[in-house]
Amino acid sequence: MSNEKILTASGITKSFGSLIAVNHVDLEIYEEEIVGLIGPNGAGKTTLFNLINGLETPDQGEVTFKGIDITAMSPHKICQLGMARSFQVTRSFTQMSVEEAIKVGAYNRKNEKEVQEKVEWVINFFGLEEIRDCKCSDLGLASLRKVEVARATATEPNLLLLDEVAAGLTSAELLKLMSELRRLNKEAKIALCVVEHVMQMVMSLCERIFVLDAGELIAQGVPEEISNNQRVIEAYLGRGSYGKTSSAD
Amino acid sequence: METIFQSVFSGVLMGCIYALIALGLSLIFGVMNVVNFAHGDFVMLSMYFTFWAGSLWGIDAVLTPLVTFPLLFLFGVIIYYGLISRTLREHYTIQIAITVGLMTFLRAITQLVWQARPRALTYSFIQGNIQVGGYVIALSRLVSAIISLIIIGSISYFLNRTWPGREIRATSDDLDAASLMGINYQKTYAIAFGLGSSLTAIAGGLLMTFQQVDPTMGLRFGLLSWCILALAGLGSLPGLLISGLIVGVSESLAMTFWDPRARLLVIYLIFVLVLWVRPRGIFGRK
Amino acid sequence: MEQKKNNQVTKSLLWLLLLIIAVIIPWILGSNQYSVLLVTTVLLYGVMATLWNIIGGLAGQLDLGSFAYLGLGAFTSGTLLIRYNFTPWMGMILGGLVAAGFALLIGIPLFRFRIREVWYALTTCALVEILKVVFTMWEKVGGPVERYLPHYGSLYHMRFSSYIPYYYLMLGLLLIALGVNYRINKTRLGYYLKALGEDEIAAEVLGIDTRSCKLKALVCYSFLIGVTGGIYANMYGYIHPSFFDGQESIKVAILGIVGGRGITYGPLLAALLLVGIQEFLRASIGGDVSGLYLVIYSVILIVVVLFRPKGIATIFQDVYQRVFSRRGVEKKNVQ
Repeated sequence: MSNEKILTASGITKSFGSLIAVNHVDLEIYEEEIVGLIGPNGAGKTTLFNLINGLETPDQGEVTFKGIDITAMSPHKICQLGMARSFQVTRSFTQMSVEEAIKVGAYNRKNEKEVQEKVEWVINFFGLEEIRDCKCSDLGLASLRKVEVARATATEPNLLLLDEVAAGLTSAELLKLMSELRRLNKEAKIALCVVEHVMQMVMSLCERIFVLDAGELIAQGVPEEISNNQRVIEAYLGRGSYGKTSSAD
Repeated sequence: METIFQSVFSGVLMGCIYALIALGLSLIFGVMNVVNFAHGDFVMLSMYFTFWAGSLWGIDAVLTPLVTFPLLFLFGVIIYYGLISRTLREHYTIQIAITVGLMTFLRAITQLVWQARPRALTYSFIQGNIQVGGYVIALSRLVSAIISLIIIGSISYFLNRTWPGREIRATSDDLDAASLMGINYQKTYAIAFGLGSSLTAIAGGLLMTFQQVDPTMGLRFGLLSWCILALAGLGSLPGLLISGLIVGVSESLAMTFWDPRARLLVIYLIFVLVLWVRPRGIFGRK
Repeated sequence: MEQKKNNQVTKSLLWLLLLIIAVIIPWILGSNQYSVLLVTTVLLYGVMATLWNIIGGLAGQLDLGSFAYLGLGAFTSGTLLIRYNFTPWMGMILGGLVAAGFALLIGIPLFRFRIREVWYALTTCALVEILKVVFTMWEKVGGPVERYLPHYGSLYHMRFSSYIPYYYLMLGLLLIALGVNYRINKTRLGYYLKALGEDEIAAEVLGIDTRSCKLKALVCYSFLIGVTGGIYANMYGYIHPSFFDGQESIKVAILGIVGGRGITYGPLLAALLLVGIQEFLRASIGGDVSGLYLVIYSVILIVVVLFRPKGIATIFQDVYQRVFSRRGVEKKNVQ
């Protein structure tokens, strides 16, 4: 991997009341790579995203992006630096058309003259021509997710955080999405960090994988390592069932 | 020194009634997150009902809540099913628009029926003054404050100890979970809205023992109770009471030592300052 | 493409037609000063609701303080005229600046502390009442008695002997307000405001500085309302603390909501219809039974909100699409 680090998070911790949502997590993402972030429900994946892109401020630790300390920076500045994200629960602009929603993103780097060109590029890239005039409130979940990724892409990020974009997609839609993400990575040279439950997608798409459980980073490595890692299996099967099998022994 | 005491004390008495009014609003806003701009006008309406009952049938103002309480409860439930429940899923501005429509309607109706001039009742059996250690206290205010405290206490008991009260609280905590557990949220909301409205009946009756009423006073009571809510934050009954007292005392002090016209100014300034300094209220649970 | 162009032409023609009607109305009413005043009042609410659309409709901030800015503009321009014989033609601009400055003073902490939704609404609502009390108590400028503006009948002092010039001034302001709305809608700021109005977090994450966008919208709105206030003072010929009217401020916001949030001509449409109906009712039955017109008005308001929560402008959009273009029909077929 000849590329440079684009994002470094070191020792970030965040607690809500007595609950420690993210506990001393370190992670690095390199330019133009695709990494996965997996873990059981409630492991703190979304909170980690929020800490990285500025929606929440960590209690401890720091986040650097392109060599700049962004720990306490506001989300819009972080986006202007070149980081964008999608949301697990879609946050769409319901009253806008698809084209308008993408335009909101495209204005991040483009002025009035260039913005339409960027919008066309994004619509074309994601194959949204048919629904470009539809209102976001009329779209199904799959299209909404896609529009959200398109909107984020339009801001011309160097790093894109995707929070469960594949949830609820059919396998055909999933394959299409994966090929789009690969193209996005190769052609637009965007590093991707995907939070995902769909293992098929993570395993075939990601170069490296981070595993989070109960707020702690319990493993990282290439897909094969992860799928054979004992702690990961334990975390996924759940300690309860693991305990049961061992007590049955 | 004596004037300060007198002023603070009358502020405290007033504050209890304010807390009662704000409690009604807190039930409505806290439970179902509905912004009721007409709440102050409910108080105004109750005061007119009291005036009516007093001048037509000679019922004493302190006793009219026996009639107006169920009346306002019914009114609240009808308003809920007729207007509010239809706008629950709309943008919050739509809810505000509908309650503002209601506010205008109530104001216009009262103006139509009772004309614009202020009305007051001339007699109540809790009128007169009592002497406590050299200080003169209006009996009507004292009794009103005590009744308000009793009502606030019983509402607190109702919410914490009884089944319908717990349903209301559960619904306010988590609507989805509550409906999963079989709580009919429409019914719970209707009860909460009815109860919130009917509390103004008591407050209206008490206020009429020593105040006059006119159709424009609704907005003042509305903003006043929002101010108390802002101070208190949601979900804390003692906080609500203390906030009511703070508002009552500051109003009273402003009237005594600055300028009678400054009473509103002080309340609104507290309101704006609280929002700036502690957006979630001073006693809020979140 | 051809269809789109045709659409543009019909739209411009419609606007032109409306403008011509608006221009000749005073000539028709000419002899009846009272009617001209009524129409001007309707226009005033049209201007205010259209401007409100910037902060309330596009940026989604429920501002209930329009008459605070109107009053500040009126008092600035009026006081300058009374004290220093300063021409209101300049005074109204200064009034706008004072209003915008005040809005900034209030808006910076409000947006800094992320005061939103109902709390923003109530704060702005309280501001109007605060200003009313302040100006009542501030005897040097306000006070409980009306202060009449001098120089009746002088063009330099904007004190016309007929309401007709004020009507045209208000019409001019309306065109400016519509123009500003239209312009904002087409540019980056408009897209940003619409985005943050719908979902502030999503907007932040897309690189939008929501705080500065909201401030821009607030300043734009309050400045123009302040300018309107200058004309308002001259039209009525006096200044008085009752100009800071909480009830009427709420009405302006309601017009914006009922008209259709974010639709440029929606608030204007609502103002024409609702204020028109209200003034008509007031004129025809108001004298006999006080309050009756408000009962009817509020019932209309409630019915409209219940059955057209997206705004009455959407009724016109539907009708327009059915009559003038086939695009709407085709679209439905595709879906």
